[in-house]
Amino acid sequence: MSDWFSSLNTVVIDFDVSHQFFPRIIITLLLILGLVIVATNFRPVMRAIRSGRYQFFVKNADFFRLLVTFALIPGYFWGMDAVGDVLPNMGLGFLLASIPFVLLMSMLYCHDLTRRNMTIIVANAVIAPTVVWVVLYHFFLVSMP
Amino acid sequence: MEFLELLSPAFFLLAAAGSIIGIIFGAIPGMTATMAVAVCLPLTYTLGLQEGLALLLGLYVGGISGGLVPAVLLNIPGTPSSITTTFDGYPMAQRGEAERALKTCIVASLFGGTFSALILFFFAPVLADFAIKFSYVEKFLMIFFAMSVIASLSKNILMGVFSGLLGVLLSLIGTYDVSNGGNGEYRLMASFMEPYLAYGFSLLPVLIGLFGISTIIEEAEKGVKEPSLENKVNLTKGTPFSYRIFKGQMSNLLRSSSIGTFIGMLPGIGGSAASILAYTQQKNFSKTPEKMGTGEPEGLVASESANNGLTGGALIPLLSLGIPGDSTTAVLIGAFTLQGLQVGPLFIGENINTWYSMITALMFANIVMFVVMFYAIRHIAKVVLIPKFILYPIIVMMCTVGAYAINYGIMFDVWTLFIFGVAGWIFTKIGIEVAPLVIGFILGSSAEVYFVKSLESYGEYSVLFTKSPIAMVLWGLIALSIGVSIMIHKKSKQHAKQGASK
Repeated sequence: MSDWFSSLNTVVIDFDVSHQFFPRIIITLLLILGLVIVATNFRPVMRAIRSGRYQFFVKNADFFRLLVTFALIPGYFWGMDAVGDVLPNMGLGFLLASIPFVLLMSMLYCHDLTRRNMTIIVANAVIAPTVVWVVLYHFFLVSMP
Repeated sequence: MEFLELLSPAFFLLAAAGSIIGIIFGAIPGMTATMAVAVCLPLTYTLGLQEGLALLLGLYVGGISGGLVPAVLLNIPGTPSSITTTFDGYPMAQRGEAERALKTCIVASLFGGTFSALILFFFAPVLADFAIKFSYVEKFLMIFFAMSVIASLSKNILMGVFSGLLGVLLSLIGTYDVSNGGNGEYRLMASFMEPYLAYGFSLLPVLIGLFGISTIIEEAEKGVKEPSLENKVNLTKGTPFSYRIFKGQMSNLLRSSSIGTFIGMLPGIGGSAASILAYTQQKNFSKTPEKMGTGEPEGLVASESANNGLTGGALIPLLSLGIPGDSTTAVLIGAFTLQGLQVGPLFIGENINTWYSMITALMFANIVMFVVMFYAIRHIAKVVLIPKFILYPIIVMMCTVGAYAINYGIMFDVWTLFIFGVAGWIFTKIGIEVAPLVIGFILGSSAEVYFVKSLESYGEYSVLFTKSPIAMVLWGLIALSIGVSIMIHKKSKQHAKQGASK
């Protein structure tokens, strides 16, 4: 009995595969928990989805603004990397990508594109990235693409 | 008094600036203290340690306090922790007592903030001294305890635990670090990811993504609506504020600040829990509980002293154990790492001057917060009028700068921002809770090292239970937190049933 217990209690971790030891425990726990969650919640959740009480998107979701946001942000990241490759070590990737990004995102989120609002948006799109670029890149020496 | 030499004018200037910027962030609905700290992180890259911390602590205090402004004026909590401020603040504002309500909140905030800073000052070194004796086994159990507390206080225990473990799993992606005694092998990824994820996902881009970018995506989904508020920020009329409001509120102030500080100490629990608990307690003790929620200053006092009590409280486990008390302090951990400091039991002893300067910054930030908000509240209130279409692009831009610069120019960190921004947005929709996930992510890799190394050196599982009396006490605490959580959930279910049957 005590042998059985001590064999259960003993643990030897092979160094070569020790990187898998802890992740395996966590994955096992996640799987067990996941199963329990699915088993206990499957029916009520399915019922809620079918009856329309649960919806992935919020009520009256603004798919246009959401989808364009999903395109704008990666586009912005890609753009700054691309410009930064062409004009490296000046932080210009950041500056030249941020100006159009801020402009487009402001225009996207503004519901009332009057002349007054457009003036504010354009001024902000030019001034804000430039100020950040001057202050952070030149004064604070923060690295930028 | 060697630390006094470290306190340059720039130190105080930055603490004050942080406090003011934090207030502005907090005052804008949807922007939180966490975001303020995350967005301003790049500014600290080139600042010295003391100055950087002064700025960040100022942001923390200001960010938590600023949330009271829209809570009172617009019935929208500026930060989650000011949710209960809306209960009595907005009715008061509707009666034309906006200024009176705001100033009551501000004084209560100052009290809560100072109270918790004092508790931090006296309690953190004691806890750290105690924690120095911890070996890997106790350290692992400490993390296990922290995780069990977080899980037990989340909305759904199972989902809370699941989210925490998911965070741990995410933190294990990368190599098993040789510097921690690992074998340097890649795990949990396909081979094409190896060049990007050798060190796993960086902490700060993950946090900024989860708290910053996902907020923007959520707003975009809702259509980025601008509420019309022009006439709501007029503070010139109504009953003026007087300190007489605080007559008979001393016990309320003390109780609520203590609740805030204590909740802050528990890892992973945000400010909303602190203020809700303080508010309900005040309701239990109040002479006129039926009036609360209709515009009673005592409700404001409870809510605001509790959520500012959180600031010092959340710093206690961070500085003495290396475990962040809430999401803002989780971002602060990143700032410490940036400065080459490791927070944990040794932190205070080894950096005694930094410790004193931090307390100074915290106290100073509270005073600046009070002075600025008390005397300039009419101007600050206008911050809520800044249109979102101007603000959000700037937030994304600042988040990007922070993520890119964190490891001195890694583009993958910027993509991490987007990945976790989208993930955070999806998480909230499918019931995965972000707070436990973040704490799991932060503590996951240390948990692995402590756990595996303990087992490697002792060779048996039972050491986790029998290593020392401290270990046994920790197991007792873990059992207690699980027991209490099951009890709370059963009770709330009964309440819900009773409510439904009525």
